[in-house]
Amino acid sequence: MVKMSLDPVQVMSGQVKELKVAPSSNGESRGSWEAKEEFDQDHLGLTTKPKPPKPENAVTVAVSSRVLFRTEREQKVFEQKGVEEYLRYQIEHETEPFAPGPAFPFVKALEAVNTRLRELYPQSEELFDIVLVTYNHAHVGIRLINTINHHNLFIERFCMTGGSSPIGYLKAWHTNLYLSADADKVREALAEGIAAATMFMPEKLTEVSETQLRVAFDGDAVLFSDESERIFKAHGLDKFFEHERDNEDILLDHGPLKGFLEALGKLQKKFYAKGQRLDCPIRTYLVTARSAASSGIRALKTLRAWGLEIDEALFLAGAPKGPMLEKIRPHIYFDDQMFHVEGAAEMGTVAAHVPYGIAQKYTKQKTSVGK
Amino acid sequence: MVSTIQNTDVKQKDADLAVVVAVTTRAVFESADDDGGDVYGVGVAFPLLQALHKVNERLLEESPAESLLFDVILITTDDEQQQQCSRITGSTRHYGLEVSRFCFSSQEDFTESLLKNNVQLFLTTDRNEALRASQNGVLSALLDQQLASCPSEQLRVMISGDAVLRPDTDPVPAGQKGAQSFSTQLGQMRQKFGIFNSPLSIVLVTLHGGRESCGDALRTLRSRGVSVDEAHCLAGAPRGPILSVLRSHFLLCDVVSCLEE
Repeated sequence: MVKMSLDPVQVMSGQVKELKVAPSSNGESRGSWEAKEEFDQDHLGLTTKPKPPKPENAVTVAVSSRVLFRTEREQKVFEQKGVEEYLRYQIEHETEPFAPGPAFPFVKALEAVNTRLRELYPQSEELFDIVLVTYNHAHVGIRLINTINHHNLFIERFCMTGGSSPIGYLKAWHTNLYLSADADKVREALAEGIAAATMFMPEKLTEVSETQLRVAFDGDAVLFSDESERIFKAHGLDKFFEHERDNEDILLDHGPLKGFLEALGKLQKKFYAKGQRLDCPIRTYLVTARSAASSGIRALKTLRAWGLEIDEALFLAGAPKGPMLEKIRPHIYFDDQMFHVEGAAEMGTVAAHVPYGIAQKYTKQKTSVGK
Repeated sequence: MVSTIQNTDVKQKDADLAVVVAVTTRAVFESADDDGGDVYGVGVAFPLLQALHKVNERLLEESPAESLLFDVILITTDDEQQQQCSRITGSTRHYGLEVSRFCFSSQEDFTESLLKNNVQLFLTTDRNEALRASQNGVLSALLDQQLASCPSEQLRVMISGDAVLRPDTDPVPAGQKGAQSFSTQLGQMRQKFGIFNSPLSIVLVTLHGGRESCGDALRTLRSRGVSVDEAHCLAGAPRGPILSVLRSHFLLCDVVSCLEE
């Protein structure tokens, strides 16, 4: 008869310390042994979770709770009834997981890439690392953790600032990309040199791949600086074409999302190195209003000079981006103009606004998009 | 030899109900560029003392008869400083610090002084002192140089999430009991203020563990009546950059292991 010195509650909480086995019926004593590993609260179950990487080695993506999950109802409570009521509501509904938000499919895809990377490079820390950065009060923490557990997300790092600005923490976490519902925070992050974008919940969401991460970028004022856009806005299309032609061999300056594309490229190369170019779980797209025959050339030459490969470059020559994005089905599309962000959202693409450059002065929103 | 002097400039707290915090004189007053004058320079723990004072001020604003206040005592832990008795009391008065008592002791017997004065939290810049005090059953925390740049209008206390979950062994080690009861008292103080504009902020930091540790720590603290304002879960990330943004005055945890890190 095996006598266990543990009760079920202890085993459940992972506090396995010692198993004692009594002598078996035929007299052979089995001796006692101690559990080989010290279990701590994070090693529940049979599989040990992989160790999160050091932020400086990883591609760190900071997401706010309002874009990772849907929190519209709670937002309303906050706006209409104030913070105390909002927190009380959150605690009351603590065991109800939030529904997925606009950044959810993107984060799931990052985790899928991580799984593939770990298979090929088990010791490497060059992975995506996701940090939940929210200026929510820690009261909401338990509900957020319950939600992460419910959706089986692999998020081990949090930063709940209880109302103070998260910007300082973004730097401390070596953030490569910050996604938030709050345009002001996003602007602050961009001003600090951190790639950032504001996300919105589209009314409909087209299905995206669960195995291949697809990230689409606008060119001007996203990957590149807004210098050409300034010409266009100030002097019109003809002047823009002339300027681009004259400056074809001069590199465009970099934009706020260039670094993130670069980080994606580095990870892609790791798959190529193992012969997985065709099956690469990361795919990048340039979706630009520039045209292939003319102004697009400067964009391509710039990317090449930067040593950045982009998998597909789509030159729309001014055509609407929505239908093209609907075909591509990216997990996220970055654009500096709300007009395009809304157009994409109308067709079910998760588009994120990069509030950078001259276009912000000319914002013509079709509808007022809530935070 | 251990002696205690009351600061007559300051109203004495109710010793049974107040939270007694002892800070070393060396942390409060700067003696490095000593010109031998009557008054010491300001040391790293100045903002801390001001923050403790701020909490008391706000507590009394909420309730003038409040007895759950911080009772701050200055403790001198070396013989040399003992000689400077009048300079220490004089400097305290000069800066108007809310210190209710001065304890003069030596390296050998300062822990005796801590126990005699029912000190619930001992704060020092000296790691060995902190270790010794905790080995004698007094909750201790180490103050470091970055304390000088911490806010003086808000007391920011870090609680270690990794330590909150030590399995409850029987009997509970003295060090852990101290941490638990101190954090419970902090929780009670925190309740007296609203969500925003509180002079006291409780910050949970889980250095090693991940979200399960963090979640369990939040639940455990809540069961003790400790409502946490900020929560940071590092899951093994290097702590330096994040802690320097946090700017907390000190870290509370199951003392010995934290001090040994």
